Amino acid sequence: MLHIQNRELVVPGQLIAEGGYFIREGAFREGDRIYASIVGLADLRGQNIRIIPLQGRYIPKRGDAVIGVVIDVHRSGWILDLNSPYVGNLFVSDLLQRKVDLLMEDISQYLSMGDVVMANVKDVNELMRVQLEAGEAGMGKVTGGKLMELTPTKIPRVIGRKGSMIAAMQNASGCQIKVGQNGRVMIWGDDPRMVNAVVEALLMIEREAHTSGLTDRVRLMLENIIEKIKLEGGT
Amino acid sequence: MYEIVSSVKRDYIVDLARQEKRVDTRALDQNREISVETGLVKPAQGSALVKLGNTQVFAGVKIERAEPYPDSPSSGVLMVNAELLPLASPTFEPGRPDENAIELARVVDRGIRESGAIDLDKLSITPGEEVWAVFVDIHMLDHDGNLIDASALAAIAALWHMKTEGIEGWTLPEFPIRKKPIAVTIAKINEKLMVDPCLDEENVMDARITITTMEDGSICAMQKGGIGCFTPEELELAYELARSRAPELRKHIE
Amino acid sequence: MKKPEKLIIDGKRLDGRTPDELRPLKIQAGLLKRADGSAYVELGENKVLVAVYGPREMHPRHLQQPDTAVLRCRYNMAPFSVDERKRPGPDRRSVEISKVTREAIEPVVFLELYPKSVIDVFIEILQADAGTRTTGITAASVALADAGVPMRDLISAAAVGKVDGTIVLDLNKQEDNWGTSDMPIALMPRKKLITLLQMDGHFTAEEFKNALALAFKGCEQIYEAQKQALRERYSIKPEGE
Repeated sequence: MLHIQNRELVVPGQLIAEGGYFIREGAFREGDRIYASIVGLADLRGQNIRIIPLQGRYIPKRGDAVIGVVIDVHRSGWILDLNSPYVGNLFVSDLLQRKVDLLMEDISQYLSMGDVVMANVKDVNELMRVQLEAGEAGMGKVTGGKLMELTPTKIPRVIGRKGSMIAAMQNASGCQIKVGQNGRVMIWGDDPRMVNAVVEALLMIEREAHTSGLTDRVRLMLENIIEKIKLEGGT
Repeated sequence: MYEIVSSVKRDYIVDLARQEKRVDTRALDQNREISVETGLVKPAQGSALVKLGNTQVFAGVKIERAEPYPDSPSSGVLMVNAELLPLASPTFEPGRPDENAIELARVVDRGIRESGAIDLDKLSITPGEEVWAVFVDIHMLDHDGNLIDASALAAIAALWHMKTEGIEGWTLPEFPIRKKPIAVTIAKINEKLMVDPCLDEENVMDARITITTMEDGSICAMQKGGIGCFTPEELELAYELARSRAPELRKHIE
Repeated sequence: MKKPEKLIIDGKRLDGRTPDELRPLKIQAGLLKRADGSAYVELGENKVLVAVYGPREMHPRHLQQPDTAVLRCRYNMAPFSVDERKRPGPDRRSVEISKVTREAIEPVVFLELYPKSVIDVFIEILQADAGTRTTGITAASVALADAGVPMRDLISAAAVGKVDGTIVLDLNKQEDNWGTSDMPIALMPRKKLITLLQMDGHFTAEEFKNALALAFKGCEQIYEAQKQALRERYSIKPEGE
């Protein structure tokens, strides 16, 4: 039996349901009862209970695309900050996709401190040791563009169902946008005003992630800004 | 703990500076939104909460009896202490004030002391034995850059709104505050000078200069910080910026 | 301060409250930008600000726990928060309060979800008027929820005591100074489990029972206010609605 409605805002300790539901996220079971463990929005579908978090840190999991920042260099690779309690380890062989003779090559030519890197989480073991790989096309060191940090829990909204939100933003603004599950977003565009428009759109998504009809409002907002820019003239 | 600045962010801000633009779309000589609230804490004789954009700083002033300094037996005592509370930033650690907290406190102190803002000679009780001590405690609450200007403004605003009723043995008609020194910090990024740096700008700047000016534009304190350098021309420009921006901050003391 | 002759006159306390009444309570969540979570609580003349950072990487490394997060609490009183200026920095009282605060909150936090990390809770007392440790715990609980730290329940805290032979809820400074007992309590309200209990003064067994029941009543009210503050924080309407 459910004690709350779909899309209701719940707080830790709040009774969600009694009985044989399946907890996907944000709740825990005590005997026959299920309680929320975080502040979030209830997403109730069939027998599944999910509390969508409104805040929270990023915890790396296998398969996630992430945007990291190099914070340490060692003999065989780099340590990346992932905007998380856990750092990522990137071995040089996972960046270059080949065996590297460390005696012959100086790896600092590939990545140095402060570099921004697009990577995939290859593995996370039970000791929370995170292995990254960045050899695929579109991965690796990132240059130019603007880096933004959003609350990681809002990223699914930035991407949208089947990528609809990010596509809408790219189409409307002409900018290229890459998103990491860890809350970081890269924006590239020729016109800084367009880049700023995308920034505004992302901030709007962060504020209103829990509402419906967001994709349309974002598209409308972007179109308005772009109209203004066109009227102002010059690119 | 240190702040990691990605190369992308650094390049972005530096390139914007070259175009005389800033990461939050402000002009080079533009302050963030300023707000000052006073009288928030009762045990303090004076208190002020200052917000510069997202930066929030709280100052509390208490008056107590104390022994005078030996070389100024009939002058009151001014002590300024600053805490970079771990509340305010992931990079602040609990513990004794570090070099940043101490520098900040001393810069604020200098602005108040060198301007003669407080008439310390009026704060004597028994010359050589007992005087009034003014303790200014500044607590950072939320760090988004330019803690110095926010702290200095909080301190002087608190001092201009002192409630002295209730201090045992206090005989003065009011608290002897007479000047309004204002600190303005200017950051140098890619050869461009900009006022009121936000955190992103602070993390990327080459150097900063804080200039504390009085109502008539005279300077009572200065402090250069960071490992970069300033040319004499840049200093002149910085002074102009400080002098022209100070009134904007000063008017919030009312 | 001179001791008042009576602390309870005609069933009312010196500030006009009945024995089972809380002081005016105001709770606000999420007011600091840099912290992962934050809360501000006013209870009577108490003004308490809490910031939560974490889970985040634990330094120094040797303090890491391999299978669980570490919860760290720091209770700090601002020098200007009390009548006689308090020297900055931790004193023995703050160290003890930091410890019991941590032990009051730790039972509800799902620490095992974040091995090797640390969750830092910073409690700053801006203005003090008796009951700062319970106000701090109340605020810390809201700040942790605001930060998205998963918990089994919020923790609500209040103090009870005895003045002029009467059991009262939420002592103010005068009552704390001149009363005969002071008992701060923190609860997991849902399961009525006590996570903080300290007492100094004198209670008979009967008085203790009554005091505990009164504390539970007070904590329930605080619990409602905490939940309300969190709901308000996140009930943002989209522009145009």
